[in-house]
Amino acid sequence: MTAPRSSTLPRRGFLAGTAASLVLLASASRAGGTTPTQAGLESSLTCQCGCGLTVHSCNHLNCGSSIPLKKEISEQIALGGTEEEILSNFQAKYGEKILSAPTTTGFNLAAWTMPFVGIGLGAAAIGWVLVRWRRGAASRVEPSVATEPRGGDPGSRDRIEAALRDWDARS
Amino acid sequence: MSEIGRLAIVLGFVVALWGIGASVVGALRRDRDLVASGSHAAYAFSALVGIAVAALLTLLLTHDFNVEYVASYSSTTLPTWYTIAALWGGMKGSLLWWTFILAVCNAIVQAQNRAKNRDAMPWVTAVLLSVGAFFLSLLVFVTDPFERLSFTPAEGSDLNPLLQNYWMTIHPPSLYVGFVTTTVPFAFAIAALATGKLGDNWIRTTRRWTIFSWFFLTLGNLFGAAWAYVVLGWGGYWAWDPVENAAFMPWLTSTAFLHSVMIQEKKDMLKVWNMVLVILTFALTIFGTFLTRSGVISSVHSFTQSGMGPFFMGFLLFVLAVSIGLLAWRLPMLKSRNELESVFSREAAFLLNNLVLVGIAFTVFWGTVFPVISEWVRGVKITVGPPFFNRVNAPLALALVLLMGIGPVIAWRRASWQSLKRSFLWPTATGLAVGLASLLLAGGNFYAVVAFSLSAFALTTVWTEFWRGMRVRQAMLGEPAWTALSRLVGKNRRRYGGYVVHVGTAMVFIGIVASSVFKLEKQQGLEPGGTVDIGPYTLRYDGVRTESDPHVDKTLAQVFVTRDGKPVGTLEPEKRFYKRTKQPTTEVAIWSTLGSDLYVVLGSYDPPTKSAVLQVFLNPLMSWMWLGGVVMALGTAICMWPSWSERTATATAGVPAGTRTAS
Repeated sequence: MTAPRSSTLPRRGFLAGTAASLVLLASASRAGGTTPTQAGLESSLTCQCGCGLTVHSCNHLNCGSSIPLKKEISEQIALGGTEEEILSNFQAKYGEKILSAPTTTGFNLAAWTMPFVGIGLGAAAIGWVLVRWRRGAASRVEPSVATEPRGGDPGSRDRIEAALRDWDARS
Repeated sequence: MSEIGRLAIVLGFVVALWGIGASVVGALRRDRDLVASGSHAAYAFSALVGIAVAALLTLLLTHDFNVEYVASYSSTTLPTWYTIAALWGGMKGSLLWWTFILAVCNAIVQAQNRAKNRDAMPWVTAVLLSVGAFFLSLLVFVTDPFERLSFTPAEGSDLNPLLQNYWMTIHPPSLYVGFVTTTVPFAFAIAALATGKLGDNWIRTTRRWTIFSWFFLTLGNLFGAAWAYVVLGWGGYWAWDPVENAAFMPWLTSTAFLHSVMIQEKKDMLKVWNMVLVILTFALTIFGTFLTRSGVISSVHSFTQSGMGPFFMGFLLFVLAVSIGLLAWRLPMLKSRNELESVFSREAAFLLNNLVLVGIAFTVFWGTVFPVISEWVRGVKITVGPPFFNRVNAPLALALVLLMGIGPVIAWRRASWQSLKRSFLWPTATGLAVGLASLLLAGGNFYAVVAFSLSAFALTTVWTEFWRGMRVRQAMLGEPAWTALSRLVGKNRRRYGGYVVHVGTAMVFIGIVASSVFKLEKQQGLEPGGTVDIGPYTLRYDGVRTESDPHVDKTLAQVFVTRDGKPVGTLEPEKRFYKRTKQPTTEVAIWSTLGSDLYVVLGSYDPPTKSAVLQVFLNPLMSWMWLGGVVMALGTAICMWPSWSERTATATAGVPAGTRTAS
């Protein structure tokens, strides 16, 4: 079945407008740089006092971990280098557990990819299920019934009654 | 008193075993007397666990420090409210409290179903008592809450100071109620599998329990966030700690179930998937309990030092083995007429919603256990902290909010282009307008702009649903606006209550995004009279005052606050020193408005110089989070409020069994 031209054009326009707006919004984002900042580095390191918070968030009085680490971060920034280099220095000195998120290399890559692999597999499964269900529905001969209220003339009692019935039925 | 408590839990355990046996044998032999005996055992179990709780509470309130639990978690100077809260402040007490909530639920289920669900009830009783017996077995054989010491200390060790906060009195009970009540839908699901009666009767019977459980999981998580916010003093409320994650995961799968179950009710589809979600939700509550008490994964929560892990892991594996076995056995009977007319339909939107919710749950699970996996595989300890969870979950959360806007208004079966246009034109336009306004005002943070835009989209879809429904009633029946609105909601509480929950969720989401992205913070050392500026506020430090009582010493900074030059008042962030535990804590001071929270922490104080270090945060839209929680509670109350017909049916004696949905 071919949709009437009059409904196709606004549809395309609507979709194009939506897509353009999303692109516009997306373009507003700024890519994160690698220039080190005190807060950024503090948030990338985990306090080792057992609080479970990042160095930035730990506010324990006289904390034996976060306070020296904050000092060390500012010293490293003063020495120069990128954020990655400074984090690498901390990793070499304190071990990988100092980093508040897994690295993106080697086995740790699994930490980052598995959620999306899982969701991707789930999406593929849903896609497969939807296709099967669509075939099941297509093989049935009974015509589909519109379940939407059609809007229309508010003065028409019959149509409003139908809309009201549909409204309750849709829930 | 401890002997009474000990006797009660031992008898409770024996009674539970009898109840399980009587129920199962009674069901298999169709022996009504045995089934009734199982049901009576459930009541007796509840009474005995209640006696045990009363005994422990009495021991706490009478300061019987010869009892190890009382000596470890209370003191004579501990305020009464926190002495009561000590009941769930330690591991033994929390296990007893958990069992008590389950026992009460079991008694309610027995009373609700005394004249219906006759085939299912023996199995429901057996499952509920099995879970209860497991928890009680730990108290009887492994960790006795009534254990006596060989001596009587003159004073107790006191409750952990971090737990001495008003949220302590409501956060754990709320979360426990949420956790424990997932057992009821699970028990009915297992009963359905056991009896082979796999229609949607078990779903209708447990509908209100499911919503009730979800409601308390929601409250438990929000109360926990509020507790962290006011007690820990780091300006945040969620640190992705493993135990926080343990409370979040069942909420996600429970939310997925609340949506997918509608497809089963409307279209008789997704029977297997709904079973999986119910089993998964219950299993995740046990997994959470395992995390809290095993020490396998390091957490700031205090129960993790115990050796209870293997017991919970064993029970979890048993639950999964039995559930999966039953599910596999009944799989042929769970096949349903699955048909989908269009991918542009509510069914498809709910499937995607389930994918995202379960995807987030999997992400949280994966991030929580990955340190253990890494240690197994590489022998290297790593940390999976907030940056990981925030980065991976942020796009998923955005997708969820988008679906939250689409789901309610897209039609069942098939949505036409005309209906899509009619339903989404205004929400899309509003979302884009808010997105562009955010772009101009908020300065181009991608996630914030998209999050605000999608939230506006979702809120507008809810608004249009209410508006259009109300207008239809007004046009047809000539009702005034308020009458039309209240009758619209009253005629379909579940649907419109759900929409209100969506409004609350969007508000919470907006609060999370704004307070995370646009937070301002400053730390400054100040002499008396010194000032610090943040946003529109100026804070003047005027020294400290002190308070002391037998329990705690307090140092309260005097911080005079002005906003745009106009006086706001004096905030008093505190340092406390608890005398029994000899532990210092931080008590933040918060000036909260709808727009932002001014959050002040007394970092340190130097008595000789009277100087102090203040940490000051300006957290935008934090109130939206808490107000969103209130709106979610309101929406859930609307969903759960019994309709007139239900109340009439419940009140009418002699109604045939199985015709009512009284749970």
